[in-house]
Amino acid sequence: MKKSRTGPRLHSLEVPLDGITLLVPSAAVAEVINLQDMAPVPFSQPWLHGAIGWRTLAVPVISFEALLGTPVRAAPASGKLVIFYPLGGRKDWEFFAMFATGEPRPQVLDGSQPVAEGSELPDSPYIAAGLKVDGRLMLIPDLEALKKAFYP
Amino acid sequence: MADPNQYLRLQLGETSYLLPSASGFTIEQREHLVINKSPDGPVAAWQSLRSQRLPAYCLDGRLQITRHDDWHRAVFLDATPHAVGLVVNEVQLVPRSETVVSPFTPLGLAPTRRGHLFSGAWVAGNRIVLVFDPKAFVAYLQSLGDA
Repeated sequence: MKKSRTGPRLHSLEVPLDGITLLVPSAAVAEVINLQDMAPVPFSQPWLHGAIGWRTLAVPVISFEALLGTPVRAAPASGKLVIFYPLGGRKDWEFFAMFATGEPRPQVLDGSQPVAEGSELPDSPYIAAGLKVDGRLMLIPDLEALKKAFYP
Repeated sequence: MADPNQYLRLQLGETSYLLPSASGFTIEQREHLVINKSPDGPVAAWQSLRSQRLPAYCLDGRLQITRHDDWHRAVFLDATPHAVGLVVNEVQLVPRSETVVSPFTPLGLAPTRRGHLFSGAWVAGNRIVLVFDPKAFVAYLQSLGDA
């Protein structure tokens, strides 16, 4: 395990998924909403579950678990939809949403959290790194890899 | 001639879609078409013209080929080399003033050589009606074959 150190505080959100937890910058998240009816999007990728109406936009909803290639179970009634701002360089209406199994929780990182070993991480291009926060493994998504998958 | 300031609302199974009418279309009554009596093959009916016959497909709400008899019209979309059609449970012209269409592009690889099937969405509260990209939708219909 790498040496711990402290540094600037980074406000993050811990997003619970099915069997894993993601850690994303709070600034990347536009809103967290309750599950709602989705319009199916025919002939889409297996990880794209449909689209929801949010404000005046249709927002595509992804399953990060499906991107990782793990089996996807039905979202629990307590599940949430985490709506992300458009990825860097994309158009200002290109929000996307992700299923979460529960309410995301704020986490303030200060650099003291140990970095997870590579062997602890799923073998996926969509995971950039992992952190141990209070002893729990949290995965940091690779937003550039997501952008390549979303907008090939 | 189609009014470019309208959308065509197509009911396919339980799902509605919009098609920009500027893309060009004609609506034919069932009695003017030649029904495919064979249960096999993707074509539900043909429109017979002088030198050719234009296929009309029957799609479900997920845009998969299906066959049922509960339709009364077919919409033929202008295309090259010839128009291509789909039979519909219901078709309605909707003035653009009654809709607010936002841009929408599905994520991931596009399913047709002309790109994604949808280029917009009409969002009314939590209800979404996806808007076809005419060129991609025609490309999809043309890929279904005419056997």
